[in-house]
Amino acid sequence: MWSRKSAMLGSLAVAMYLLGLTLRNSQLVTIAVVIFVFLTWAALMGNHADVAASGRRAEEWTGEEGVALGNVVAMRKLSSARMFEDGELNVTLRMQNTSALPKILEVRDRVPEVMRIKEGANYILMELGPRRETYIEYTVECPLRGFYSLGPVTVRIQDAFGLFHKEKELHVYNDFLVFPKMEDLKETFVKSRVPKIFTGAVNIRQPGPGSEFYSLREYFEGDSFRAINWSAYARSGKLMVNERERDAVSDIIIIVDSRAVAETGPVSRNALVYSTRAAASLAKYFLGRRDSVGVIVYGDDVVSVDRDTGKKQLYVILTKLAGAVARGNIPLQVVVNRILPHINKGSPIIFLSNLEEDPTIVNALRDFRARDFDVTVLSPSSLEFEFDAKRLDRTGYEVMKTERDVLIGELRGLGVNIMDWEPDMLLSTALAGARGF
Amino acid sequence: MTINKPSGDTSHLYDGKVVRSSAPSRKKAAGQVGSGSSIPQDAIPDVAIPSFIESLLGGPLVPKMKFLPPDKMVQNLQIAVYGVLVALALLTYMISPPEGTMWYLVTGSLGFANLIQLVVIGGATVCGFMGTLKRDARLSLVSNLLFILAILRFASSKTSLSSDVLGLQDNPGMLAVLVVVYSVLLIMYFELNNGVIRYSMLDTSIRTNEVYVMNPKKIVSKYHRSLVLNPIIATALAWFVLSANSILPWFVGIFSEDTATRMRESVELTSVYGVALGTLFVFIVVGILFGLNLPTHLQRFRERRAE
Repeated sequence: MWSRKSAMLGSLAVAMYLLGLTLRNSQLVTIAVVIFVFLTWAALMGNHADVAASGRRAEEWTGEEGVALGNVVAMRKLSSARMFEDGELNVTLRMQNTSALPKILEVRDRVPEVMRIKEGANYILMELGPRRETYIEYTVECPLRGFYSLGPVTVRIQDAFGLFHKEKELHVYNDFLVFPKMEDLKETFVKSRVPKIFTGAVNIRQPGPGSEFYSLREYFEGDSFRAINWSAYARSGKLMVNERERDAVSDIIIIVDSRAVAETGPVSRNALVYSTRAAASLAKYFLGRRDSVGVIVYGDDVVSVDRDTGKKQLYVILTKLAGAVARGNIPLQVVVNRILPHINKGSPIIFLSNLEEDPTIVNALRDFRARDFDVTVLSPSSLEFEFDAKRLDRTGYEVMKTERDVLIGELRGLGVNIMDWEPDMLLSTALAGARGF
Repeated sequence: MTINKPSGDTSHLYDGKVVRSSAPSRKKAAGQVGSGSSIPQDAIPDVAIPSFIESLLGGPLVPKMKFLPPDKMVQNLQIAVYGVLVALALLTYMISPPEGTMWYLVTGSLGFANLIQLVVIGGATVCGFMGTLKRDARLSLVSNLLFILAILRFASSKTSLSSDVLGLQDNPGMLAVLVVVYSVLLIMYFELNNGVIRYSMLDTSIRTNEVYVMNPKKIVSKYHRSLVLNPIIATALAWFVLSANSILPWFVGIFSEDTATRMRESVELTSVYGVALGTLFVFIVVGILFGLNLPTHLQRFRERRAE
């Protein structure tokens, strides 16, 4: 392949040659001929490199000498196939030269553009001896959730002057998953009003039939004598009874708005990023409390994870959240209509959305409230992201902010626990704000 | 469709119910983000939209990369550029007398044309020197263009010299050698100039850990070897190509001596068209060899031999 340099030299030579012929100037023709010769020699020497290569994953690689289909073979190994945002991934690229001739190679392992090379380099210039192999190690930092793929490996051989090169993509791909990172929550202030009784369940910090002590209170008529705390009676002179914590679990429904508009703002600071992180944190918290957690992600389609408990459920939810892509514009009403028949009455619903470009939001949330669902809305403000990124002027920001405040006020009037989640606010703070603490 | 339908008035469902509406506590909410949830600013990819000119040239006009101080390799290349630059400037002045230059065609004054020619060559030298010293590709490009401009002459079929210190004017063979040497120097100047930028970029990339170079000595030695070998080979091959109009009659002489003699005495064959014809002939052969994929066959042969 011609480089820009060789193309310019070639053009210059052609121009001089033609001009020389036109003007009958042998000097120009001579210069043109020398340039042609120079280029021809470089092409002859640079073109020797037939990088007929093949790539395979390191795990698939079985033979001692690699795949004997070409001269350059690439294999890759990752330290992990799953990680959380801001996690690090160690990549080991193994390059083999199966030819009997040494090669000077330029190797670039393609890394998704949102990732940063933290240590080492994915771009290597090397002299690979005959029948030799080498390992290239580098570490990438993964700041954003998603499904990613490393590869292909691009190998290039060129002449010493960089006039001609041959390039080949070795189709070695390694997929990995970056989960949204999670914030440790101490308290979410979200409880089901209609908890399910569950054998062996955990405490939900409400008095009720259970085994764990909750508090002391005065005796009322009808209380069981077995519940009387005689020591407390002896101390206070009043009949006191032990209250126990209610053993129960809740169904928690988390709805994540993944419409195209959710990605308004910088790539790493937008409503969808915040929503997925919040959903992951909340899911972890509730599952840790042994609640059943279901997640609905809607954008161009409604993707749901059925309510379940346990660590496996967390993994399923995280996978779905990692794959959430800002696409489509399904109104919330459609989602509500679809899920309403399947949600237990009184289940807490947490809705994560920037509340933009959806005229059905008010009606949809009203439907939830009308059926006595406990609705919490955390709304990462796209306006703030856009304003911080200086993509929105002050006037536009103020106008849109007012509209947003009106909407939030309207939703609050419906009894929705809502919080305008500003970019620098912790999730726990936003939740506390939404619940009125 | 359900999407656009209003869900109906549900206000009656609220009758008799206490609807709690608590304002969020902004004061409480004014927490600061901990280190755990901060997003690295440089995780946001920069979107650089090239201008019209940049898109034509395939890259930014002003290099964004700031080079680190030159290492020994780059310094050596810079010294080589200075040497070649001086030689090139002298040779350019020698083989491009003011007659036939575009300045002469425009002004009609030899003195004025000579002055402009000197200014152009001087400008090319100064720009080349500054470009190499500052490692600024734009100045180097200006220098290259000025050198090309200086050599463009719109007259004469034969090479003439503006200052014939060595008395080469009457020796056509030496004149041709001089032009070939000049041409090779011109290309080497382009290459060395470019090499300074390329190796500065590479050196900076290595030192900022963008690129990792394994066995850099071998890579550099290959470049050094090419810097010596390629001009020699290019000179020899160019000489062969330019002599094609002499070789052709010899080749034809194998079959017919009369035709060969007529060819030798032909004015056309000894003129610039003869050179062009010879060149065309040689490059047709080269083109056929490339068309037959000679480089690949050559590589296969080398591979087999190495086995």
